[in-house]
Amino acid sequence: MSDGAKPAGRIVPGAALPAMSAHEVDFAIVGSGAGGAVAAAVLAAAGANVAVVEEGGHYTRNDFNMQESWAYPALYQEHGNRATDDLAIMILQGRNVGGGTTVNWTSSFRTPPATLRLWAERHGVTDIDEATLAPHFAAVEARLDVGPGNPDDVNANNRKLMDGAGKLGWNPALIRRAVKNCARLGYCGMGCPLDAKRSSRTTFLADAIAAGATVYTDCRVKLVETDRGRAKAVVAEVLDPATDQPRGRMIVHARKGVVLAGGAINTPALLLRSHAGTDSGAVGRRTFLHPTVPLVAFYDQPIEAFYGPPQSVSVHHFADRGARVGYFLETSPVHPMLGAIAFPGFGDAHRQIAERLPYVQATIALLIDGHHDDEGGAVSVTNSGRIGLRYPLHASLREAAIDAIGNMARLQLAAGAREVMTLHETPILIRSEADIARVADAPFEANGHTLFSAHQMGGCAMGSDPRRSVVSTRGRHHQIENLWVTDGSVFPTALGANPQLSVYAHARLFATEIARATAAPATAEPSR
Amino acid sequence: MTPSRRTFLKRGLIGSGVLVLAGALPFAFRTTAIGRRPRRELRLLSLEEHAVLSAACARLVPGGGADPTWPTAETVDCAGKIDALLATVHPDAGNDFRRLLRVFESGFLGTFIAASPRPFTRAAPADQDARLEAWRRSRFTMLRSGYQAMKRLAHATYYSSPEVFARIGYPGPPEVPKVPA
Repeated sequence: MSDGAKPAGRIVPGAALPAMSAHEVDFAIVGSGAGGAVAAAVLAAAGANVAVVEEGGHYTRNDFNMQESWAYPALYQEHGNRATDDLAIMILQGRNVGGGTTVNWTSSFRTPPATLRLWAERHGVTDIDEATLAPHFAAVEARLDVGPGNPDDVNANNRKLMDGAGKLGWNPALIRRAVKNCARLGYCGMGCPLDAKRSSRTTFLADAIAAGATVYTDCRVKLVETDRGRAKAVVAEVLDPATDQPRGRMIVHARKGVVLAGGAINTPALLLRSHAGTDSGAVGRRTFLHPTVPLVAFYDQPIEAFYGPPQSVSVHHFADRGARVGYFLETSPVHPMLGAIAFPGFGDAHRQIAERLPYVQATIALLIDGHHDDEGGAVSVTNSGRIGLRYPLHASLREAAIDAIGNMARLQLAAGAREVMTLHETPILIRSEADIARVADAPFEANGHTLFSAHQMGGCAMGSDPRRSVVSTRGRHHQIENLWVTDGSVFPTALGANPQLSVYAHARLFATEIARATAAPATAEPSR
Repeated sequence: MTPSRRTFLKRGLIGSGVLVLAGALPFAFRTTAIGRRPRRELRLLSLEEHAVLSAACARLVPGGGADPTWPTAETVDCAGKIDALLATVHPDAGNDFRRLLRVFESGFLGTFIAASPRPFTRAAPADQDARLEAWRRSRFTMLRSGYQAMKRLAHATYYSSPEVFARIGYPGPPEVPKVPA
């Protein structure tokens, strides 16, 4: 580490790299989303020489044109086409400088205390509690301008959730949002054209660059090189942004360590592909998605769920259902493409739904997977490098989905909906309580009902037992001493709340420990 | 981990549920009706594959149905946009989607799946809808997945096109307030 202040770093686009290049730094960080950006900021501030390697491109507010046709191919994994192997669950996951923080809907929650207790009791995470995380949450909330919930953020879409839940006594709550001077346009999922959203690109990554970090874009890391229990380097394909196909190769040698933060699907896939530290069999297992069940309702008055803050109200009334899988309720924006993909049928039947778009309200139920006997999904990689995710929908999750559809319908009817429509391929129309019973009789099979996920977690679980977990409770790999994971893949289960703020806070906790452990000659962990 | 020729490839939205059985249908495209030529240079699909995809998109989106005033899949160029997208994904995913089109076009398989012996591109619109419907409601996950791959791509390219916005009551993005540089 240098003694004096280092000059500011920079963002290097892949197009500026030669066909072959080699770089040497203290830390190579894979991914520039919440986990990677915080790690880069903390380590660069501690004086380390840091390189962040990002698969996606670098876009700024001037690029964010609020068009789905541009945003999803440009800003999302697999150009907006990521899904489970059987296509039953569509997966929304960022891929750009800023990762998921560029496209998230700004909802900010601390890790639910009940989830931390579950991790302590069943998953060996005995040294992370609310007090451990409190200073890290406070620090990231300050940097991200996470304020108290604001009633002015409640658009018509969220108003129906608020009103319906309020009438039923389900305790709706305002969501805290990571924004500053938000104009409430409603296009958070396509990148904020005002930079009002506090993404990692505009906060922690900017801090890291100011402290000397270099960010390489359009570089897809294919391999972590290890030697005798130590990570030595990461090897990446340099992508041609026009075709997304490899046009070169780069290697980043890491003197002190490698930090993985590519997200809960790409990070386990990278370890599997590298055959690095996979002995436990836990890598890529227990992947959780908060499988999300949407339900739409039609109102007599326009809702215009394409405008206004996408999420400002949540309902956690059903998060704890005892022995049964719990869920929480929020809303989804309904832009033309996102809505049309979710609506069932084709041709004229589909048209008759789509042309009512302004009158649609969308409530979503996010199933809290991994807290009971469901084991989540499994990430895999083919010989040619293609990433897969198998996620069988466990019977307990199907039960929760059906229960959630019924309760969402009750909520929407209480809020004044003329008609509720399930998103089964053969939709069920609900106009009264009597219709809800039909939901339980409808098959709930793969691709028989629209499901999606915007929250990917697990696959490199933290814990104290190396036989059941991949990293320590400070993110250090159990077998590779200078390899850390700082993204949502470390969570042993789904959170039961939108995970991004938790990724930031855990990453800050881990990165602080990395800086401490690599600065001192002797390494010991963990500490608060 | 390389899939065998007798197994389905099930990876991702674009490539899911496509039987390598397509390899047993070498003549599936021999009778394909090419129809109109692509509006742009194809980057991945063959002319025959593009024709099958165009025919499927024409039935999947509203413009081919009862209301002739809606834009068609051809005017929006759904198939051309999907081809451009497929050219940027993992090569295995692109190839899986091409196999899906081969299976979907096959009159031989259509006989068993939808009692429709004609190649999809040569079937009457009602028969084309029946085949899509048979895949949509199939008891086989792989056929439902194949239907969803085509349906989602067709609807994604169609409904994200500004020429469709007015038909669904969407005014488009709002003006962005000016902020200091």
